[in-house]
Amino acid sequence: MSNELVTSRRGILGRLYHGETSFDFVGKRKIGFAISLILIVLTLGSLFSRSLNLGIDFKGGVAWQVPSSATMNVDAARAVLSDNGVPTENAKVQTLTNGTTSSIRIQVGDQTAEVRAKIQSDLATKAKVDVNEVSVSSVSSSWGRSITEKAVRALIAFMVLVGIYIAWRFEWRMALAAILAMLHDVLISVGVYSIIGFEVTPATVVAFLTILGFSLYDTIVVFDKVKDNIDKFGVSRTSMADITNVSMNQVLMRSLNTSLAAVLPVLSLLVLGSGVLGAIALREFAIALLVGLITGSYSSIYIASPLLSIFKQRETRYKNLKGIHATGAELAHMVITGGATGAKSIRRQNVDSDDSLVAAQSSPTSTALLTHPPRPRKKRRR
Amino acid sequence: MTRRLVISLVGLLVVVLGSFAGNLVANNKPSLGLDLQGGISVTQEPVGEYDSVSLDLAVERIRDRVDSLGVAEPEIIRQGDAIVVNLPGVDNQDEALRLVQVTGAVLLRPVLLAAPNTPADTSSTTVADGSSTTLTDTASTTTTDGSSTTTPVTTLETSTTAPGGPSRHIPQAATSVPVDASTTIPVAPTGAVSSDSTLATSITEAPLGAGSPTGSDVSTSSLAPATMGDPADPTATIIVQNTDGSEIYQLGPSFATGEVFNNDAKADIISGGWGVRVTLKGGSTGADLWNVGAAQCFAKSTICPTGRMAIVLDGVVQSAPNVNQPSFSGGVDITGSFKESEAKDLARVLKSGALPVRLEVQAVQIVSPTLGDDSLHAAVVSGLIGVLLVLLFMLVYYRLLAIVVVVGITLSGLVQWNVISLLSSTNGLALSLAGIAGIIVSIGVTVDSYVVFFEKLKDELKSGRTLKNSAERGFKSAWRTILAADIVSLIGAFTLWYLTVGSVRGFAFFLGLSTLCDIIIAWFFTRPAMLLLARTKRFQRGRIFGIDNTVNATGGAA
Repeated sequence: MSNELVTSRRGILGRLYHGETSFDFVGKRKIGFAISLILIVLTLGSLFSRSLNLGIDFKGGVAWQVPSSATMNVDAARAVLSDNGVPTENAKVQTLTNGTTSSIRIQVGDQTAEVRAKIQSDLATKAKVDVNEVSVSSVSSSWGRSITEKAVRALIAFMVLVGIYIAWRFEWRMALAAILAMLHDVLISVGVYSIIGFEVTPATVVAFLTILGFSLYDTIVVFDKVKDNIDKFGVSRTSMADITNVSMNQVLMRSLNTSLAAVLPVLSLLVLGSGVLGAIALREFAIALLVGLITGSYSSIYIASPLLSIFKQRETRYKNLKGIHATGAELAHMVITGGATGAKSIRRQNVDSDDSLVAAQSSPTSTALLTHPPRPRKKRRR
Repeated sequence: MTRRLVISLVGLLVVVLGSFAGNLVANNKPSLGLDLQGGISVTQEPVGEYDSVSLDLAVERIRDRVDSLGVAEPEIIRQGDAIVVNLPGVDNQDEALRLVQVTGAVLLRPVLLAAPNTPADTSSTTVADGSSTTLTDTASTTTTDGSSTTTPVTTLETSTTAPGGPSRHIPQAATSVPVDASTTIPVAPTGAVSSDSTLATSITEAPLGAGSPTGSDVSTSSLAPATMGDPADPTATIIVQNTDGSEIYQLGPSFATGEVFNNDAKADIISGGWGVRVTLKGGSTGADLWNVGAAQCFAKSTICPTGRMAIVLDGVVQSAPNVNQPSFSGGVDITGSFKESEAKDLARVLKSGALPVRLEVQAVQIVSPTLGDDSLHAAVVSGLIGVLLVLLFMLVYYRLLAIVVVVGITLSGLVQWNVISLLSSTNGLALSLAGIAGIIVSIGVTVDSYVVFFEKLKDELKSGRTLKNSAERGFKSAWRTILAADIVSLIGAFTLWYLTVGSVRGFAFFLGLSTLCDIIIAWFFTRPAMLLLARTKRFQRGRIFGIDNTVNATGGAA
């Protein structure tokens, strides 16, 4: 990438810091689309072959959690199950280690209240702890179904409402692009859970839904910039690809900053909260949040904005500019100055001559860079 | 302009710090959900056909029963049709599980024996000697004529439950009969109207000699039902109390349910006093069933020796009127010395009994106190460290400006603490693990508003504007972005809150709360703080964001 135009004096970090990068997001959109396509195919494949590892809250069942001890281990837990006439083949018994203590978690299908209470007290006896130390969670399968239905309904309602809002606040193309990007996030997050085999709990769903909000939030900040730039570049004949690229580069640092600011507390939850301090419940949140945050940040850069540029290119205003977009120095110039300032026309006359470009743009003064000249200073009354 | 900014800044500080101090003084603290302190959560949902009145009644019944458990902050929420009962920090799990499962079925049972109880407040606090007495089965063989105050066959039986022990549930102490004179309510005259009415025949809430529930100030009971016999089993002989606990009854197997009535019970003035009028369903499912029992009671046969028929809801006698005629056709009037509110309560019970709600336990969650404690500890510690990391990052990246972020996040935290504390003490809101996670996630959103603002500010500075100008223009455009993005978050939070149940709902609430905080802080704190800072000499000079705004930064490009 040649950056002689305006910003050659800074390194990549410096350029990032000053918002002077000139990455050609739109030109490379096919790479992003290809990666996402592969991920989506993998997701669908995994969903059909092994589906999701749904927790008891979605399919119904009972789970006990008992502190493990010398007398309480996985085998002892299985023994308790079979003593109470619960088939152990489908039972999930795991040891959860959290720092200094560990506990045994047992999950089985639907049980009657009596069996549930009996196993709880048996586990307590075997582990030599008070019966109140055994945590139990039980969900009927019909309730599990209704939880799932409600979550799906909430998701659809959320998309519709947000779509309407974005269409009203910005425009329908942005709404469409944002929602497609969001669907992409859902699919890939679900895919990660399906492929790795993480258990899906209500906490996971909660986390996903939040992340969707967050991903949308991120997308909207980018789109807001795009909208700004559409107004700014309105008079000049600048292609949608350029506008998108310029906007993306201008908000890139913000996107990275925001993602980092969001990931830091989540990482702290994951590493410290569930790793060091050992709260299992936190881990469920943190993993889902992390997966969602990463796909969300990725999709607002590589999916939402390129999609928007594709949709916008169909507008008559941008139709005949299709296929033309600036890269490298020219892009950097537009990113920094926030205007096309004649670069377009020069480029069209003399496409392969970088020299003339540099000449035309050799010394932009600060006034030239303003979208409009600063108001003359008023005499201030003291 | 400057003055308004100062007012906004000072105003916010005064409000936030003032309410913080107020909450501290009032000792309002965020109460913890059961996943953070251990406890039981039971979710029940009605199945089949039911009346919304009966669902309301079921919630009230659960509330009454839960109150008797003595749990510090019981939470009973209607989420759609589902009823979620959260009992944080409850000790006796079995008891709690049993208590929250109300049936909603109204049973009509013959009164075998009735006796006045100790003063209404027989909850654990008044049981002094640890021995509670109950009526025993021997009483069932005795026929009483219903006019005498003495029921000599009652024997004493010492309960094993110790007073004030770990299980806050203690069976009601029934005094041995004969009764303490102070508790006996004078016999109310029975103004029975029976023979003259043709369609609406009547029964009278007739107090026996012993004591009348109708004479006392009946309010919703705060008592647990008595413990002998399973009130839910229609064939059992049970011992239960009336709503205010003033009378204790031994009741025989039920001969009908509240479903013999039509769903039309209403309180009305009947022959000069408040009463309840209800019609019977026709045929074998209604009037016939009812008349079998009515005939027995009228005749004071061994099945119904007192001649009274008890209307029992979830093990509590709602009313036990005398039956004044052997056969009813069409309607039944229940009269007595009812107050208007009592008559209305009874009408509601009958209405719900006519179409009872069947609640099915859908989900039970029992969290051990240690597990909850661990989670809380981990969430708080890792949350705080997460915030510190973010602030550190801001400090490195935005240098001096990070002070605004630090103060802003602190203020936002205080606002949230205030709201949560206030709602905890007034609305029984409890901070759940999901809620804490929601707050932690929202840190990202909050920080983002600053990032958006600062980046816009940088843009403006770079295009050669003065700091003061840039701050104003930067905020203006950042505000639009922040508002648009926050509204999306709010839409999400509201949709989730409205359409889901359980932990998702808690999460949505806290997400919405912190998003609102973000908007408030951005407008009332960040805006005035930044605009004022931008005017100070110190900021005008110096390099902020690493951009030298005194020199034309972009001028020497090529």
